[in-house]
Amino acid sequence: MLNIEGLLVHFPYDYIYPEQYSYMLELKRTLDAKGHGVLEMPSGTGKTISLLSLIVAYQKVFPLEVSKLIYCSRTVPEIEKVVEELRKLMEYYSKQTGESNNFLALALSSRKNLCIHPELMHANIVVYSYHYLLDPKIADLVSKELTKKSVVVFDEAHNIDNVCIDSMSVNISRRTLDRCQTNVETLQNTIQKIKETDATKLKMEYRRLVEGLKEANVARETDVYLSNPVLPDEILQEAVPGTIRTAEHFVGFLKRFLEYLKSRLRVHHVVQESTPQFLKDIFDKVCIDRKPLRFCAERLRSLLRTLEIADIADFSAVTLISNFATLVSTYSQGFTIIIEPFEDRTPTIANPVLHFSCMDPSIAIKPVFQRFQSVIITSGTLSPLDIYPRILDFRPVTMASFTMTLARTCLCPLIVGRGNDQVALSSKFETREDFAVIRNYGSLLQEMSAIVPDGIVAFFTSYMYMENIVAAWYEQGILENIQRNKLIFIETPDAAETSMALEKYQEACENGRGAILLSVARGKVSEGIDFVHHFGRAVIMFGVPYVYTQSRILKARLEYLRDQFQIRENDFLTFDAMRHAAQCVGRVIRGKTDYGLMIFADKRYARADKRGKLPRWIQEHISDGSLNLTVDEAVQLSKHFLRQMAQPFRQEDQLGLSLLTLEQLESEEMLKKISQIAHQT
Amino acid sequence: MDEEPERTKRWEGGYERTWEVLKEDESGSLKATVEEILFQSKRKRVTESHGQVRLGMMRHLHLVVDCSRSMEDQDLKPNRLTASLKLIETFVEEYFDQNPISQLGIITTKNKRAEKLTDLAGNPKKHIVALKKAVDTVCLGEPSLYNSLHLAIQTLKHMPGHTSREILVILSSLTTCDPANICELIKTLKSLKVRVSVIGLSAEVRVCTVLTRETGGSYHVILDESHFKELLMLHVKPPPASSSSECSLIRMGFPQHIIASLTDQEANAAISTSGADLSLGGYFCPQCHAKYTELPVECKVCGLTLVSAPHLARSFHHLFPLQAFTESPTEQLQKDRFCQACQGELKDKSIFSCPSCCSVFCVECDLFIHDSLHCCPCCIHNQTASY
Repeated sequence: MLNIEGLLVHFPYDYIYPEQYSYMLELKRTLDAKGHGVLEMPSGTGKTISLLSLIVAYQKVFPLEVSKLIYCSRTVPEIEKVVEELRKLMEYYSKQTGESNNFLALALSSRKNLCIHPELMHANIVVYSYHYLLDPKIADLVSKELTKKSVVVFDEAHNIDNVCIDSMSVNISRRTLDRCQTNVETLQNTIQKIKETDATKLKMEYRRLVEGLKEANVARETDVYLSNPVLPDEILQEAVPGTIRTAEHFVGFLKRFLEYLKSRLRVHHVVQESTPQFLKDIFDKVCIDRKPLRFCAERLRSLLRTLEIADIADFSAVTLISNFATLVSTYSQGFTIIIEPFEDRTPTIANPVLHFSCMDPSIAIKPVFQRFQSVIITSGTLSPLDIYPRILDFRPVTMASFTMTLARTCLCPLIVGRGNDQVALSSKFETREDFAVIRNYGSLLQEMSAIVPDGIVAFFTSYMYMENIVAAWYEQGILENIQRNKLIFIETPDAAETSMALEKYQEACENGRGAILLSVARGKVSEGIDFVHHFGRAVIMFGVPYVYTQSRILKARLEYLRDQFQIRENDFLTFDAMRHAAQCVGRVIRGKTDYGLMIFADKRYARADKRGKLPRWIQEHISDGSLNLTVDEAVQLSKHFLRQMAQPFRQEDQLGLSLLTLEQLESEEMLKKISQIAHQT
Repeated sequence: MDEEPERTKRWEGGYERTWEVLKEDESGSLKATVEEILFQSKRKRVTESHGQVRLGMMRHLHLVVDCSRSMEDQDLKPNRLTASLKLIETFVEEYFDQNPISQLGIITTKNKRAEKLTDLAGNPKKHIVALKKAVDTVCLGEPSLYNSLHLAIQTLKHMPGHTSREILVILSSLTTCDPANICELIKTLKSLKVRVSVIGLSAEVRVCTVLTRETGGSYHVILDESHFKELLMLHVKPPPASSSSECSLIRMGFPQHIIASLTDQEANAAISTSGADLSLGGYFCPQCHAKYTELPVECKVCGLTLVSAPHLARSFHHLFPLQAFTESPTEQLQKDRFCQACQGELKDKSIFSCPSCCSVFCVECDLFIHDSLHCCPCCIHNQTASY
């Protein structure tokens, strides 16, 4: 039982980390102020349980202020972890209070576990994936009726802007259009059939559409539903336009739209245009007005409902197209349309794609910020904190970064800037093909493979770069030398192949053979896989993982960021590269008993603008002496570190320093120390 | 710092940051911290008393020495192999000194294979000769943990149940090349009650952690050469016997050393049963009168364990270890500030006093008493005085 500024919190563990206490303190202040918060705390310090126990306690004490907790996480294993912690907390509650539990928690993982019992709408805690809240297509089904007095938590939210953008972007290829074509044909046939058997049904629908979407409008005004960005406010007040009101007319309309898109895909050079340009062009060419386009998504949904089509999944293509129609006609800003006749890598193969790409993540997340009283964005790596409120366009009441209190320094970040021959190491474009750099990178990995036990994870900036380097290493015989020390596994874009490699990698770490996993920043491994203890004793980041800057979509986004949010291209690119680097190296430390080396192999990391963007809990362990090491120096430091860390480390050593009992927590001195953990920005 | 002997030339040593250990005190001087560091290192206790537990007195220990390529690393001087072998030599001597009725065998592993250097035997000389020869071995390839453990089991599993079965692995490499799944072997080791301990020379390897945890052994990684020695010496002391190990009475013979002179009519020069050396005198088995030149030994003829009384006595102190002395600050001492053992002045911050006779000792004498004497000199002095 903890006392957090007057709020009694049941905490299901005997000991607590100081930063957990500090975290709960900040969280409570955010809830008190009914505002939004951005909180960064290192992974493995018990973020989840701190969040859960504080918010549950808050709900119990102030049921009128906060009635629901919506916990969003990224992947199914993460959701399972949250549920596990929650279960522990609930057991502790019923043991402490002695009464049976009247709390209802609900976790939505995948469709196969889906339950649609109406009572679930009244659950006190909902745990699910981001998409249920952010993706307008799903949010409408699942999250529409969540009450305003909810607390929304986005865990592992360092990539939330990309999730928002992805959920609003649409890519249309020739295949999509072909599938859409068959969809439309099926629709036409079904309409024909229904017309013969049950014409009244279609008439009913027609009447309903004349009356307009009043129902939805009432609901939105009375604040019952979460608003949907695909369903803009204006159309709620209007009736569906006459041109698409009957089912046949609508299908005809869709066909015309489809033909137009097909004609647009027949291009030989890249086209980029804004949404108003696109609308003008479509009006000129096939006389489609803006208004019916805006109703397209809603009209299709109504039609599918009327036709009583059970398997909506078959109609994904036509749904996608109609969503595109609605979005393109609704937003004149924040989106761009790029039509590419072929992929950059294969300029000879025609594969035209229409990218309707969202450049403004705040569009998708806006309804969430508007509707719910508190939204908490949290992750292990959110630095620099101030950029998130800017790109997501909201005003937080708390922004704090927490450090990790450690009884022993269990992480060892080293910046290797030079090879043994003093050649500067960097993955920058000019030296990318440089023989000397590649050789030095090779010797770094080779020497590390000889002194680091069990698993090493190495990250490259891209698949292409990895391929080039590994090929060069093979020719120079470096690969052979490395293989004497450890086995080598490689991540590929293929998911099955990668999970196979991962499995074998873990086996090799387990049985003492030792292994190296070569993977790519922004890949599957860098985002979702944890390398606890022996699965990752060292992580090497070869180069700075800048995003591929030649991509047109990225260029458009950067331009937009500069114009709308006054964020300079370079600032955003560096921020994005550093958050991915932090994600990669953060994979090795998953708790206070864990330890690992973090090697940044690029001299650019030593620069203040890069280093300053790393999370505080990593930054504070980079000493001035380890800013520009040679390979040899790094090896010596690592050897020493690994020996130190191999010394026995027991729980007693942590007690009082980085692990507290209740009595220790309440001491005056400790509370003073705790107040220094949170670093407000 | 001057009295500290420099072990290596500074330029040969590793890349260190010695300045980071030092901290200034309030007056800006470094002296206080340097003294603190020295004192800390002296005080580090080797003896961690087990209390009243049963200890395995008869030990069978297989020593596995890694001779793979990584032993050529020069972080121990002149290289890991030479330094380790030298330390192992002292270990072997100490081992037989403290455990006279125990046996030891040495296995080396390199190039994915494991070989026996010496068989399980109770004679330190043979092992030491073999170790001296082994300095010249060429280190190559990877070690094989599986093969070495497997080889050790082959002999250990035939040892009687009342003795301890132990394996101590000196592992330098961070990788092992195994022909089969080592987890199965760990299960076998566990069922055979073989205790495996590992001393790592470079870093913590997962498979060793599992191996030692499952079999009840210890796992340590060295920091430097002196720490290596310390860790090795930990294994001199017999481990607590598992409660499930059998108890049995063992017949032992205590032969007397007979010195025969050439003038003696009855004495005939005879060849020792165990060796090839020809001598006049020796130890004669009380059961079958086979002659041996050295003890302890198992009689080749009748199988009787032959030991001398002092050997048994020396094994004895493990059972009743000397209590740890209590530490207290020097300022509290009212009497003359002199160590009872060395008669030197007590200058250090702390003093140590024997809980039974309350005599006061300095750090060095405390260590000496616990490591070598195994009894408090003042207690004994008082006892003899009272008679």
